[in-house]
Amino acid sequence: MPDPIHQFEIKRLWHIDLFGYDASFTNSSLFMVIAVAVIVGFLLYAMSGASLVPSRIQSLAETAYEFIANMVRESMGEQGMKFFPLVFTIFMFIFTVNMLGMIPGVFTVTSHVAVTATLAVLVFAVVLLVGFAKNGLHFLKLFVPSGVPIYVLPVVSTIEVISFLSRPVSHSVRLFANMLAGHITLKVFAGFIVMLLGSGTYAFLAPLPLAGAVALTALEFLVAFLQAYVFTMLTCMYLNDALHPGH
Amino acid sequence: MPDERTGEGPGSGNISPSDRSNFERRVKDLDKRLDSARAQQTDKDSDDGSAAVRTRGMAYGLRMASELVGAVLVGGMIGYFLDQWLGTTPWLFLVLFFLGFAAGIVNVLRSFSRLQEEIKVATKGNLGRSMPDDDEDD
Repeated sequence: MPDPIHQFEIKRLWHIDLFGYDASFTNSSLFMVIAVAVIVGFLLYAMSGASLVPSRIQSLAETAYEFIANMVRESMGEQGMKFFPLVFTIFMFIFTVNMLGMIPGVFTVTSHVAVTATLAVLVFAVVLLVGFAKNGLHFLKLFVPSGVPIYVLPVVSTIEVISFLSRPVSHSVRLFANMLAGHITLKVFAGFIVMLLGSGTYAFLAPLPLAGAVALTALEFLVAFLQAYVFTMLTCMYLNDALHPGH
Repeated sequence: MPDERTGEGPGSGNISPSDRSNFERRVKDLDKRLDSARAQQTDKDSDDGSAAVRTRGMAYGLRMASELVGAVLVGGMIGYFLDQWLGTTPWLFLVLFFLGFAAGIVNVLRSFSRLQEEIKVATKGNLGRSMPDDDEDD
């Protein structure tokens, strides 16, 4: 049976040693660069012949813009549009990387927790920086819910702090686990087809996992979009806490 | 449709009573068929709706699970490292592990109430009915 984990292996393409740290250019980096190139190329090409009556590809780019702009406005209000570049970049990057990962043979960047955790920590850091910069110590009100008696406040505040600190964890684990599990499942089902075909007697059962693999592929496309959407939506929600602490 | 070429539609007034009743019967029949076709159509629509709801439900389910597990992990880890630092093994770990569990429950409840609000907005207070399909955005 083909190894379903093999597809996630990191390979060094170009050795770089940065002050004793291994900062090699890997297949993961390569596909991140490809994703960025795809996004930039798509947006530049779509808007190159920008006209009032959009062409098909231009309206695709505009749909992407409006989709994120609406999400940002709904969760943070008009002043949240300051974060639009960040949120749009995060969405386009995760979405493109997830979709590229659906092409057979392409490395799925988001199936590594190191990548998703970096994105989640970036969002977390922005929330902390903007929260303290905008609200000062007022930002700490996030951990002191109003109307709580003083004698349970230590417990409630501890719970709130843990809840706050758990955000980057669940934020990153969700995306990575979904992509990892989906791609492993696809590979396992595809492996079943090969095994059944090679088994002789039971070869007539091979169409069953094939049907399963086809259905799973459709599901994985959905998950690829959904997880990019969920990650972006949660980013908006967390950024909203930085703008308006104290629920 | 009344036959316009011969001028014998119901509006022209010069058709026989039997023709008229025949025509009315046909209109009723058409109404009935339209109704059943419409009913089938809405059935199909709500099927599509529930598929959209199911995928959304799946996304939320996965989200809830990770919220809960994330908080327990973080609570336990904070406790473990504080214990290592202060030499109070295993007390802070135990306390913070359970507080982490509480934080996880808080997380799940919060995202659930947010989900409910979203559904209420999406269905315009018509909770439990089919959701409008917003797949045009993807």
